[in-house]
Amino acid sequence: MSYRYKLFHLKDPYKLEGTDDLFVKAMKENCLYQYQHCPDYKRILDSFHFDINSLKTIDDLASLPFIPTLYFKHHELYSMPKKRMIVKATSSGTSSGIKSKIGFNAGSLLLAFAMVRKIFAYHHIWSLKPTHFIIFGYEPKRTNQTAISKTGYGFTFTAPPLSKDYAIRYVDGKYQVDLENIKNKLIKYSKGKAPVRTLGFPAYTYFLLRDMKEQGIFLKMPKGSLITIGGGWKQFYAEQIDKKAFYALVKEVLDIDEDHIVEFFGAVEHPILYTDCKAHHFHIPVYGRVIIRDVNTLKPVPNGKMGIINLLTPLVKSVPLLSICTDDIGILHDEKCECGLNTPYLEIVGRVGLSDIKTCTAGAEDLLKEMKI
Amino acid sequence: MILYHGEILNNSLQDKIIASLGDELNNTLAKGYFPSPFEVLEAIKVIYQEVINHKYDNIILPLLKQYDIPESMFVHYASLFSPESLKRKVEIELGDYLNLPSKLDNSTIRERYPLGVLFHIAAGNVDGLPSYSVIEGLLSGNINLLKLPSGDNGLSIMILKRLIDVNPRLKDFIYVFDVPSTEVSSIKKLADLSDAIAVWGGDLVNKAVREFADIKTKIISWGHKVSFAYVDNYVSDDELKALMHSLASSEQLLCSSVQGIYLDTDSLDELSAFAKRCFDIISKENLKLKPSPIAAKGKNALLFYNEILERKSAKGLYLDNGVSVIVKEDYELEASWQFRNLWIKRLPHEKIVSVLKKNHDHLQSVGLSVKKENISVIQNLLAQAGLSRITKLDQTSRMIIGEAHDGVYPLKVYSRIVEKDISKL
Repeated sequence: MSYRYKLFHLKDPYKLEGTDDLFVKAMKENCLYQYQHCPDYKRILDSFHFDINSLKTIDDLASLPFIPTLYFKHHELYSMPKKRMIVKATSSGTSSGIKSKIGFNAGSLLLAFAMVRKIFAYHHIWSLKPTHFIIFGYEPKRTNQTAISKTGYGFTFTAPPLSKDYAIRYVDGKYQVDLENIKNKLIKYSKGKAPVRTLGFPAYTYFLLRDMKEQGIFLKMPKGSLITIGGGWKQFYAEQIDKKAFYALVKEVLDIDEDHIVEFFGAVEHPILYTDCKAHHFHIPVYGRVIIRDVNTLKPVPNGKMGIINLLTPLVKSVPLLSICTDDIGILHDEKCECGLNTPYLEIVGRVGLSDIKTCTAGAEDLLKEMKI
Repeated sequence: MILYHGEILNNSLQDKIIASLGDELNNTLAKGYFPSPFEVLEAIKVIYQEVINHKYDNIILPLLKQYDIPESMFVHYASLFSPESLKRKVEIELGDYLNLPSKLDNSTIRERYPLGVLFHIAAGNVDGLPSYSVIEGLLSGNINLLKLPSGDNGLSIMILKRLIDVNPRLKDFIYVFDVPSTEVSSIKKLADLSDAIAVWGGDLVNKAVREFADIKTKIISWGHKVSFAYVDNYVSDDELKALMHSLASSEQLLCSSVQGIYLDTDSLDELSAFAKRCFDIISKENLKLKPSPIAAKGKNALLFYNEILERKSAKGLYLDNGVSVIVKEDYELEASWQFRNLWIKRLPHEKIVSVLKKNHDHLQSVGLSVKKENISVIQNLLAQAGLSRITKLDQTSRMIIGEAHDGVYPLKVYSRIVEKDISKL
């Protein structure tokens, strides 16, 4: 039995204590595989004169050369034939428009399912109650390979689905945003008894709820309804909306309490499921580790300090995703959490690159983006 | 918010106003009046006095704080808008046009007229810039339609409203619309009503405008430009230190900001030695300066690391405390990563024209430092390649009253000459 298998079949997804040794062994095992099967990865490790045998303790993982997500946008790194990758996914390309292409083999997917099963169980996401699903995202299409569309579809299996509605529908060969339809469905479902579950970018959810509030539409969603959000708050930076304001809006418009709002965090280049606790903290599960790196030196900084988020996991075998660096800035907290978990939790502060900085032409470039020419 | 006949109105009235705007503009033109530059200057004088007497501190001071601009710098830039400065701008830019009408021959006189209706699609990178674009249009007597950039903070509309309050005759010459760029049909309507469109944006924006603008509408493009430094090995340590201050003050976000340094050589060894020397000097100098924002540093650190992966080596790459230097072996002009990142390339002066000429539409300023006997020759080569401003190494973003904008005078560009037969008069 591989160390990876053992790690992803640990009973408690948040009992980090005592798992460091297994985590390092699983990382080393996968690292060796990648080194032997992915020539580009081998070249990267060699260019840093990295010796895989130096991976002995959890602290040694900081010296494993990481790959920025930016690199995946320009290079396809595969460690096995493409035909073995039964699921292919891309990032959403929100910051640059260029997408990372990642493929997942069956073994990696099975481990991922084991992880999802346990994390959803811990957070009481599984339900046997027939449910209406509303996805603030893309209607699935074979041609749409974004991870966000795949996870949106996957989410509709967390309870027996009575209906599935998508905010971005595929009509006449192209995608169209149709929030009006979602609003009407919410109104309709609020009159029934079956709970409703939503998933999607917080911004879309927020904009719809804000419009409903402006239109004086205030609903009482059936008991057990759940608002889940994922894909980051980056669209919110310009709006200056904080999470508390979002929770208050959900309560006001849909009458759903804060403890029924769940947020997910993950990336196609790091497919570990981070789910916020009742205090809305992303605790680190046993399947991954997080290193925060200094913005000047890229060296690890102590917990509590802000820096670039480096995510590590041995989950995927088909692509060397062992240690990747996102373009998010965050803080790893050690403070005791009111939810009772004592593993560190990750706070995502923003993105590198300053979304609010405008160059000489940026203002006018808005025109282009909005016109989609 | 929109500004229509000197009144600030709700956006909901916009479509109705745009629908009937054509007739109104024609009526204004048919009255035969357009403001003279000196009439506009009189109105600006009043607002300038109000600004320096702190009437607008409640708006200006928070903006300075937000963008971390020292008040002394604001006072300096504000002086560029003093009546004396703008009068000088008018005199230099319009030049001999100010002496019109004048005789062309015994039966013909020449007279200056505005282009007519100017549609400004302004960038939002500098607060108040959209109003500056409109003021240039007004100084040349045009009717101005302004599309506010998204995220505009209201400063432009406030300035223009005040201008009309001071001189109500200007109300028929200033219209501000808050049209989202998604409303292509409204933008096209405004473009169709205009004689010229002043666009502040890059190639892609210009391309987009060309696609919706009618063939008869003139497009006047301001930007996007790239600036750089050109040096030889005689460049002093002090000059490089001064350059570092200039990089930090604009974070290389302006069209006039130095993006990289060309060294007058074709030797890669000389290039490497210079890059090392340059980095040692500027990285030390950087420690004396206020650091870049953390997100900018993070972005450049990741780009730097990615460059190491791409190049398969760290040779020719330098990074310390948010300053980075990237040695490149090609000659091509390009933008940097900004926020204190410089590329360093070789470019023997004999190749200046052949390398840079193909970018002629993007060239703006060059900070020059070469040995004295080569200055004239190299200045001439840079000008022939298409550069429009040649300054000291650290002075590419300096502003001088009366200087040209990207090599031309806007007030002249916004004007036209009409010849009239007077033999029967």
